[in-house]
This record gives sequence, structure tokens and C-alpha cells, in this order.
Amino acid sequence: MTTKTSAAAWEPVPVKAEPAERELAAPYMNPYLAGVGLGLVLLAAFVVMGRGLGASGAFNRLVVFVLGGLAPEHAKASPFFASYLDGPPLKDWLVFEVLGVLAGAFISGLLARRVMVTVEKGPHASVGLRLAMAFAGGLLMAIGAALARGCTSGQALSGGALLNLGSWAFMLSVFAGAYALAYFVRREWR
Amino acid sequence: MIAPLFRYGLFGDETSLIVAFLIGIGFGFFLERAGFGSARKLVAQFYLTDLAVFKVMFTAIVTAMLGATYLAWMGLLDLSLVNLVPTYVVPQIAGGLVLGFGFVIGGYCPGTSMAAVATGRIDGVFFGLGLLAGSFVFGEVIRLPAVASFFTSTELGETTIPTYVNLPYGLVVFAVVLMALGGFWAAGLLERKAAACATR
Amino acid sequence: MRRLFSQLTVNQKLALAAFLLGLVAIWASPYRGGLVTLDAKEMTLAAARGADRVGVRDVADWIIQGRADFRLIDLRGDREFAEYHIDGAEQIAMAALPDAGLSPQEKIVLCSEDGVQAAQAWVLLWAKRFRGVYILDGGLARWKAQVLFPVLAANPTGEQAIENERLRAVSAYFHGMPQAGGAGPAVASLALPKIEVPAAPPAGQKKPAKKKEGC
Repeated sequence: MTTKTSAAAWEPVPVKAEPAERELAAPYMNPYLAGVGLGLVLLAAFVVMGRGLGASGAFNRLVVFVLGGLAPEHAKASPFFASYLDGPPLKDWLVFEVLGVLAGAFISGLLARRVMVTVEKGPHASVGLRLAMAFAGGLLMAIGAALARGCTSGQALSGGALLNLGSWAFMLSVFAGAYALAYFVRREWR
Repeated sequence: MIAPLFRYGLFGDETSLIVAFLIGIGFGFFLERAGFGSARKLVAQFYLTDLAVFKVMFTAIVTAMLGATYLAWMGLLDLSLVNLVPTYVVPQIAGGLVLGFGFVIGGYCPGTSMAAVATGRIDGVFFGLGLLAGSFVFGEVIRLPAVASFFTSTELGETTIPTYVNLPYGLVVFAVVLMALGGFWAAGLLERKAAACATR
Repeated sequence: MRRLFSQLTVNQKLALAAFLLGLVAIWASPYRGGLVTLDAKEMTLAAARGADRVGVRDVADWIIQGRADFRLIDLRGDREFAEYHIDGAEQIAMAALPDAGLSPQEKIVLCSEDGVQAAQAWVLLWAKRFRGVYILDGGLARWKAQVLFPVLAANPTGEQAIENERLRAVSAYFHGMPQAGGAGPAVASLALPKIEVPAAPPAGQKKPAKKKEGC
């Protein structure tokens, strides 16, 4: 029994069917194939643009765009915001890339019949709790990404593929932090 | 040397924005294909029941890494012209930890939250709002000299692992591949164990 | 062998492919800007054409106009750079040039003491397929002689007077001192304008805004 298990360790695990909402949805793609697809997209970015992917930067730019309109002097006084003010903040590669992410995810979701207005949460959490935690998580994540100069797509994926030292240190820290806190927020998910 | 194409002036800044959008489509497409528009699937990684995050991430890293290495080896790609985010050891480790906390609390990362929003997840929208709030908070807090100096501390510049540990590039590439394959094998075992526990 | 291979699942095939590619990669020497190759004919033709040079007066005009589409790279050492450098110049010492992260897209003007090192750097960048690089003709020596301390025509005619005025204005912009015509002190002995502010260029204006490529 054990040898069979270890040899087949790379094989997909049969997933238990989720409740009714998933009846129409197509099963997810083999994660390794999805990973290869993602890797090729990343490679295309390297070859065509000479840069990797990203996401957090686009959100920073949106904030700077709004601030720049409401209180430009205040924005320029912060070195963080000022660094995004070299020209129109939204006219940037990352912003357009993130718009593409929205489009691409929507297309994939549509094809797989996975588009539905819902709130993802565990069975024992209320919608209110989940939404509050989503907001809090986003807030923390933006701070972490700003400190690290990137998020999982920019630093971990792109920097990881380029064997960037800081990116690998960052990646390990992300997993460490998430695993460390998982037990304490299990109510939200399990 | 013909790549990176943009660095050799094959097209200009405006066209690069269209390229950005197209690449983004590919990015978002595969994120959703893998199921990363769902917070539950993402977070399952940290409860060791579904390790797709690890599998997808590291397969992507290995694919792009091998591709870039081979293209550069063939003299088609100049790796020195591919943008490398400078290393700031302590801020990046600290940032990583905080990001990890945010990941398991919020259920997404910035890229996947967009995939979630695109497929109708309201929690993805709230996560995105949180991102904006956090970005603003950071921009304000960085005015404090203590924070600003922390932000730029322990700078090592653009460093790669092979340079840092003084090993040949190719050897590190192979080591990463081995580590990933080992990780995938272990992930499979963990998932099987979790599935067995669940059905009990 | 083929039967064995066809019996593998998709995932196992992927794993095998990754392993083999990784194994072969041990011997990889990916190009990271180290060794360069050069087409002799192409380069010598370009050098013979002499188009990749720019005069000191032209650069002076560009700076006064506030043009931000080029980078002025000063190849001299720290001491010389601190003593005097052209407004808006960035210091990248010759030895640090390969690792400086210059991009083939940029328009670059190289300046050195007399133009010789700038020409050597031009060859290096040409070999790395940079095609927008220019040599400051005559280097800083000519900059001092023609921009900072230009010799004004003595007893000028109408046209010469206009030219004198122009030279005076340009020289004043760079805090130089025009010299009257005839025998004057040697350029080399003249006091160079003091650099008050350390090399940071005025916000946005002079340097081409290096696009922040974050993630």
C-alpha cells in the first residue's frame, strides 16, 4: 500500500465534490499544467519586456492617482507616493497588466462556468466576519508588499525564476508567516 | 542577442502597455484555471489540505527559470537586461511575514484578488479595498524617519543566489529543480494524508 | 523504452522533463552581459562615418533647453567628478560601466577628460548592441575651452558680436567666465566653477525620468 502511495504522489488527488454551487462548475486544471502555463506567461514577460509580472504596484499607483488629484503636495511629501509620480501614475505597465488579469480571469471563469457573485468563506464564519477579515488581510498585505518591494507575483514568481536573493528570502517568509498564523484564524476557513 | 525585445527598442512605451494587457490576460487566465480565484482553495495550502498554491507557484518558477536560463545560454536573451528587484534583506523578510499574515487572514494576494473580483467574489472586492487602504497607510507611515530608514536598510543591490553563494548559475538551477520536484512529491503525500483523514 | 515512456502519466512526464532539463542546465552559462562580440566591419564603418559624436556646444544647448531625453555619463573618477562636472551628469566610472545597468533603449552621451575613454566606452557599448551612444567630442577639456571659458572675438563685427553674446550667455549659465580675445591665461589654469550642491539633478527636469519598474 505504501509503495503505491509514494509512486503516485505526483498524481492528482480525487477532490470531494463541494456543495450544490459547484455542480455546474468545471473541475480545476491540473495544477502542474496551470503552473507551466503561468511560467510560460512569465517567460514571455522576460523575453518581450525584460521584466516580470506584478500586482501590488498597480494598487499603489491607484492610491497615488487619487491622492495626486486630492492633495498633490501631501503626496509628493511622502517618498513612497512620490516615487510613483514620474508621469501620470496610471499610465503604467503594471496597471494595464492588472486590467488584463481581470479580463483573463473572467474569460477563464466564464469558460469554466465558475463566475458567480458569492462570498468565499468557511462554514463557521459569518459573511460580516469574512468581509472584515478580507479587508484587514488586504491592508496587511499592502503594507507587507510595500516593505518588500513586491508581492507574490512580482517578487516570489518573477524574482524566484530569476534566482533573485531577496525574492527567495521573501518567498520563504511569506510561507512562514502564513503557516504561523493559520491556526489562529482557522475559524474563518474551517 | 535579440531579447528582451523592449530593451532593444523593438517597440515603444505605448505599445508596451498593450503588451502588458495581453500578458495580464494570460496571467489572469491561468490563475483562474488553477482555481486561485477562490480564497478557500488558496488558503487550503496553509491548512495542508490542498497544496495547489505550492504546486502552481513552483512549477511556474521552474518553467520560467529553465526557459530563461536556456534562452540566455543560447545567447538569445540577455539576462542582465531583465529587471531584478534590488535585495533589502530585513525589510523583505519582514514584509514577507506581514504579507503571509495578510494572505491567511484575507485569503488572497493582490493578483489572485483580481481573479476573484473578475469571477464575482465580493470578499475579493473587500480585499482589494483593504489593499488600497494599506498602501495609503504605508505611504503615510513612511514619512517617519525611523520607518524610512528601516525601509532602506540592509541593501545588497541586485543580487542573485548564485552570485551570493558563489556557485555556478546552472548548478543552482538544478538544485531548485530538485527541490521543487521533492516538494511536489511531498505535497502529494500530504494531500493524500489529508484526504484520508477527511474521509475517516 | 517507448512503452515505458507512454505508461507515464502527464505529471510524471512533466517531472521527468523538468529533471532532465535541470540536469543539463548544470553546464549552462547564461548570458548576463559578460562576454561581448563585435562585428568588425559594422563597427569600423560606424566609426568611420563619425556620426556618433556630439559637440560640446550642442550638449550645452540641450542642457539649457532642459532636454530630458538623454543621459550624460561622466566616466571619470570620484575626485575629478567632485571637483567639477557638467550639470546633470551622472558619474559612472569606466571600470563600473559593464555593471551599470545601462539600457540599449537609452540615448547616452559619454564624456571623459579628453574623449579617449569615452571612445573606448563607446566601442564596448556598441558591442553590447547599444546604438544610441554618443561621444562628447573633445571631452571635458573642450567643454572648458569652448563652453566655460570661451574666447570672445576682440573688436567684433556685427555677426561676431551676436556670437559673443551667445557665448557669454551659455558660459554664464554654467557659471563659467568668458575670456577676452587675444593672449589670456591658459584654460587649464582657470578656476573651475564650484559645485555647490552634490550631484542630485533638479527634480524631474534634467535627467530622463527613469521609469520605476516595480512589481
